[in-house]
Parts: sequence; C-alpha cells; structure tokens
Amino acid sequence: MKRETGNSKPAEDWPTLLKDNARSGGQKPYPARSPERAVWQFRAGGSVRSAPILKDGNLYVTSVAGVLHAIDIITGTSKWKFQAGGQVHATPSLFAGQILFGSDNGKVYAVDLHDGTQMWEVPTGAEVWASPVIRNGVAFFGSADARVYAVEAASGKMRWVQEIGGRIYSTIYAAERQLYLGCGDGKVYCLDSSSGKTLWSTSTGNGIDSSPAVVDDLVLIGSEDFFFYAISATTGQVRWKYETGLGIASSPAIWSDSTFFGSKDGFLYALEIQTGRLRWKTRVGEVVTAPPMIGDGVVCIQASGTFALDTANGKILWRAGLAGAIQSVPVLAGETIYLASLSGEVYALR
Amino acid sequence: MDRRTFVKAGCIGSASLLMQGLDPMMRAESAPTATPPIELHGLPDYKPSPLGMPGLFPARVIEIREASAIVRNRVSQPIVRPMLERAMKELTGEASAREAWARFIQASDIVGIKINPSGAPACCSSPELVREIISSVQSLGVPARNIVVYDRYSYEMDVGSYQALLPAGIRIVGIQEAFGSGGGYESDVYCDATFFGEWETRSYMASIVVHEVNKIINVPTMKDHSASGVTGALKNLAYGTFNNVARTHRAPYSFTNPLIGLMCTVEPLRSKSVLHIMDGMRQVWHGGPLTQVQDFIDQPGVLLVATDPVAMDTIEMEAIEKTRRERGAPSVWQHDAKSITANTEEFQHDASKNLFYRQPGHIAAAGQHGLGIADLKQIDHRVVSV
Repeated sequence: MKRETGNSKPAEDWPTLLKDNARSGGQKPYPARSPERAVWQFRAGGSVRSAPILKDGNLYVTSVAGVLHAIDIITGTSKWKFQAGGQVHATPSLFAGQILFGSDNGKVYAVDLHDGTQMWEVPTGAEVWASPVIRNGVAFFGSADARVYAVEAASGKMRWVQEIGGRIYSTIYAAERQLYLGCGDGKVYCLDSSSGKTLWSTSTGNGIDSSPAVVDDLVLIGSEDFFFYAISATTGQVRWKYETGLGIASSPAIWSDSTFFGSKDGFLYALEIQTGRLRWKTRVGEVVTAPPMIGDGVVCIQASGTFALDTANGKILWRAGLAGAIQSVPVLAGETIYLASLSGEVYALR
Repeated sequence: MDRRTFVKAGCIGSASLLMQGLDPMMRAESAPTATPPIELHGLPDYKPSPLGMPGLFPARVIEIREASAIVRNRVSQPIVRPMLERAMKELTGEASAREAWARFIQASDIVGIKINPSGAPACCSSPELVREIISSVQSLGVPARNIVVYDRYSYEMDVGSYQALLPAGIRIVGIQEAFGSGGGYESDVYCDATFFGEWETRSYMASIVVHEVNKIINVPTMKDHSASGVTGALKNLAYGTFNNVARTHRAPYSFTNPLIGLMCTVEPLRSKSVLHIMDGMRQVWHGGPLTQVQDFIDQPGVLLVATDPVAMDTIEMEAIEKTRRERGAPSVWQHDAKSITANTEEFQHDASKNLFYRQPGHIAAAGQHGLGIADLKQIDHRVVSV
C-alpha cells in the first residue's frame, strides 16, 4: 500500500482534522518561536470542543452551542454563522464548497461554504462526534449509534450503513478501497468502502476513541488499553504494539519514518513506524489527548499549553503558556496559530 | 479522539474559575468565625421514598477485595462482574444478583448512574465497573435509552473517554460544559448561603436529577480530598449535583462541612439515591481529588456497596487514614497550620502538606441529618470475597 498523500491544497488551507485525510498534521514549516500576542480574539458564544479548519482566508469553528462560525482570518470578525439542531463536538471537514459536520442530535449537516446555508442533512441514531472524511465524492463517518455511514458528499444520498460493535468516536481513515477506524468495542475495523462489509477486525484490550493513520500497509492507532498498535492494513494482524502508562485517546501523526502520539500518562511519544521502537518520549503535561501537528522538523502538541518539540530528539523548542483553558487542536498557518478554547474564545496568535 | 485536547483539570479548573473570581485557591481574608445560615429549598410537595438515603440497609457496608481486579492499572471487567454480584447479594440477602438488583430498580425506571470523572484519567469511576452496572440494570428490563450516565462536567467525562467506552444506546450526559457555564439546573431547587461574601449565593440542583431520572446509582471513587477530607458517596452526590460549589472554599478554609450533608438531604436527591457502589479499584491517599501523581494512588482492587452513604464514607475514610498512617502522612483530621501551603506544587508532591484544613467531619454531620450511621461501632461492615 502506498503512502496516502491526500488532496493537493493551497499551502495555507487546513480543510479537515489534522490538516488532510492523510493525517499528516500539516507537514510544512511552523513558527520557530512561541507566539507573542493575539492578533484577534473572537467569541464563539459557547464552548469549543472541536478543532478549527481553514480555507481561503476563512476559519471555520463549531461550538457546543450548536453554531458553525465562519470567521475572516484578517479581521477576526464573523462572516456568517449556521445554527445546527443540537450541540456540536465534531471537527468539520471541507468538500467542494461545502462544510460537513456532525451534531449531538445525530445529524450530519452540509453547509454552503460561502453563505452558510444548509445544503443537506443526514440523520443517524445518536451523536456524531467523529469528523466526516470525504474520499472519491463519498463522505464516511461513524456515529455513537454504532453504525458507519457512507453518503454522497454532494447530495447527502445514503450509499450504505454498516453496524459494528460499539460507539464510534474515531474518525475514519479512508484509503482508496478500504476504511479503517477504531470502535468503543475495542476493535479496529477495516471495511470495504464500496459496501461497508467488514474485511477484518482486530481486538485490543479496551475501547478505542483514537483515530487511525495508515502508512506503508500499517494501521497505526492507540487504545484505551494503554497500547499503541501497528496492524497490517491488509490482514489485520498485529505487527507490533507499544505500551504507555495510561490510555491513548490521541491520534497519531506521521513524519518520515516516525509516528507521534500523546498518551493520558502525559507524555508525547515518537516511535519508529516499522518496528515500534521508542525514539523518544517527552513529558508535556499531566494528560495528553490531543493529536500532534507535524512541521518541518517540529512536532507541536496541545497539552499544558502549546509545545513545539524537535522531531529528532523530543527536545522542547518552545512552549507557549496559552492557559489551561485551551481545549482544541490548533491550526498552524505559517506565523499564525489559530486556537479555540473551552470558554468559547477563538484566538489568532502570532 | 481528535476533536479536542485536554489540559488537566487542576489547570483548567483554576484558569476557568479565576476568570470568574471563583478560584478556590483564592486566600480567605480572615478565618470564618461560624457557619452561616444555609437555606434549603427542595422540590415542593415531593413525597419522600423509603428507598432514599439511608435506604433499605442503614449502617450496612459490604466490602469485597480482589487484587487481580486491577493489574498494572488496568481494571478487569470479568473479575469485577462476580465481585459486584457477590457484594449485591451480601448487601440484600438475596440468593441471586438479579433479585438483589430488583430490590432497587424496576424495568420502568429511568436510571441515572452518577459517576465521578473528576480525577480522570488517573482515578475516576472505572468504565469497566460502570459497564457492569449498566449490564445489571439492563438485565432487569430497563431499556438502554432509560439509562443515563451523568456528571456535572462534560470535559471531565471526555477525559475519561466514557463516551467511547460505554455501550451504545445509553445516554451520556454532562450537565455543563465547564465551570461557570450555564444551563442544566433547576431554578426552584437550591441551597442558599453566603460563605465568604460571594455575590452568587445560590447553588442549584441539576435538572436531570430533579426531572429526568427517578433512581440514582451513585458510583463514587475512593479518594482523599484536600478540602473535605475524603470524597466519597456524599460528596459525589452533593457537589456533583449542585452547581456553584467552589465558592465554599477559600484557602485554607472550607465549608464542605456541613454543606455536603445538607445538600444530600434536599429532595428529590435524597429519595432518588437508592444505591452506592464505591469504586475502590484505585485509592487516592493524598492529592485528591484531581491528582495524577501515581505515587499517591494505590490499586487495592476494592468495591464497597451500601445504601447508607454515611456508613460507606466512614469505612472509606478509615481505609484512607490507614494508608496515610502506613505512608507516614498526617491524619486527614490534622489541623496544624504548619501543614498548610499555598503552593500547589508542594501540595501535589508532599503528602504532609495540604491546601485546606480538611473537613472530614462532614460525614458525621451528614449522619446527624439522618442520612446514615457514622459510628464505626454501629456499622455492619462485612468483608467478603468472591
């Protein structure tokens, strides 16, 4: 299996969770120093539990109050907003002029990127916290109703629904013909993307809310059983696993031949992808559940503040004391970092 | 879990509270001279239930211990299952676990399971235990949609990954997103008092308790608490049901005694809380309730089961006191000014230091309000094995 590269996007765009469907976490040069000031601050009117996304000079942020905000990144002012029918904990995804996101009312919405009008909605049986992933015009997402959904991204027309064994909070990794995801029943699933049929499933020791990355025929994913797994994308066989001190909710990012992830034990880990050998681990807080962002030789992680570490050795290059209330995954865009907080503030930091 | 990151509650709580002028680590200007008057406003015309605290079995506490229930910090659900069954049978005297559960829960009930995620991930209500409780409730015919696992703070539940780890179909509810966020509370049911001259004097009861559930299974954890002495069944119910409670602390003073017990007397919380299952898989003996320092977290693999929260917390306190003695830490009753520090780092890593004068007397005070038995000599403490 070839390395997934995702769609080619303008350098400044950040259209989905971890920047692209390859879970690259960015892969461009990032600030070599800590941000020093807030360029602007926007009040979302409700806690933000999701990650912002960025497209064509606009930042899109969902809030628990159920609002999707479009914010001008130059001025920090609202361009439009869309009110969903329930709370929103999901990070949105962009697709061809639409923003897709799930809600606690069980619906996935598609909203026009330009004016915030609703284009379609699809119901599920429970809250949708995982991000929709779009591949070949089809949006794939899991719901807490224990079902995986495939809908046409342009229309919302249902392609198929597949029930699996537990709640789904793991964002799907969509390869060309397979889907990979973790599940609350503790299994990693591989589904046929055209039918939803289960191709294989592999058990871990506890539930999974981490989202997988796939590279070189390996599915990389953490489990609440404290282990980080590398599983054959073809057969589902466990190739190696690495034990941390507590559960792993953080999703991995990939850089060169290393994978990076956080653990609830407070460490950021760097492992060699092919062997699972520990390259380094660095304490960045008491608890880490965020996925890391990868730049050119720099890995950034949100923990007790925002940390930038050297990918080669885990040395902390800088730490920004952005307060404990920050509870979102940052978007890193050149010299600017966009962050949202539990208190409902969105910041542009430089 | 990509949608968010998390910064441990010790930081997040302080930051959020600070913004609202509610930081419990704010120093008191002077020692309070007396407990202020506390007004209690329960749900009008609510008919108390005989299942309400102290419940069907006052003074009885069942303890079951199995070291293999937690190995290398991982709780084993297959071992928790027979432990819970055995303890339920011992508590009720019933021959089967199903009959034991049926003493408290009927198929038509809307069952709330009040967890304690505040120390997550290091010490919180174990998802493995919560899953077993859910399974037991479902075995009585309660449909999944009528089971609600809840706590006050969504973000703390998120850190515990309860959303992902509990079965599909049940509801998982955080009453509020974070400290100070509104909504989710009943305006007519509250406690009213001024402790330190704060501007907001009311603490409201959660609407989910007042209106949605009719039975509550309380799942506290076994932890030392820097302000209340220990946090167990009583505190998990009181401070996990009413809002605006951080105002009762101004370092180094705290009014957790008598407020915890008083809150537990307010209807309908008192009547609906029919069973308490304390998760003692882990025991925090210093640094609670939020510590993540593993040096202060033992793994005894214990469950306590009772309907009497006062007796349960009395047994819990004895266990924590025993551990503290063994480790050379001062009693939770100690009120030596030399042990008080304003340095949270020092508190977090030195078991001889504390942020507050602890108030373990809140347990006996709750007993005086009729919630149960605090006298060890009167407590029917049964230690059983699988």
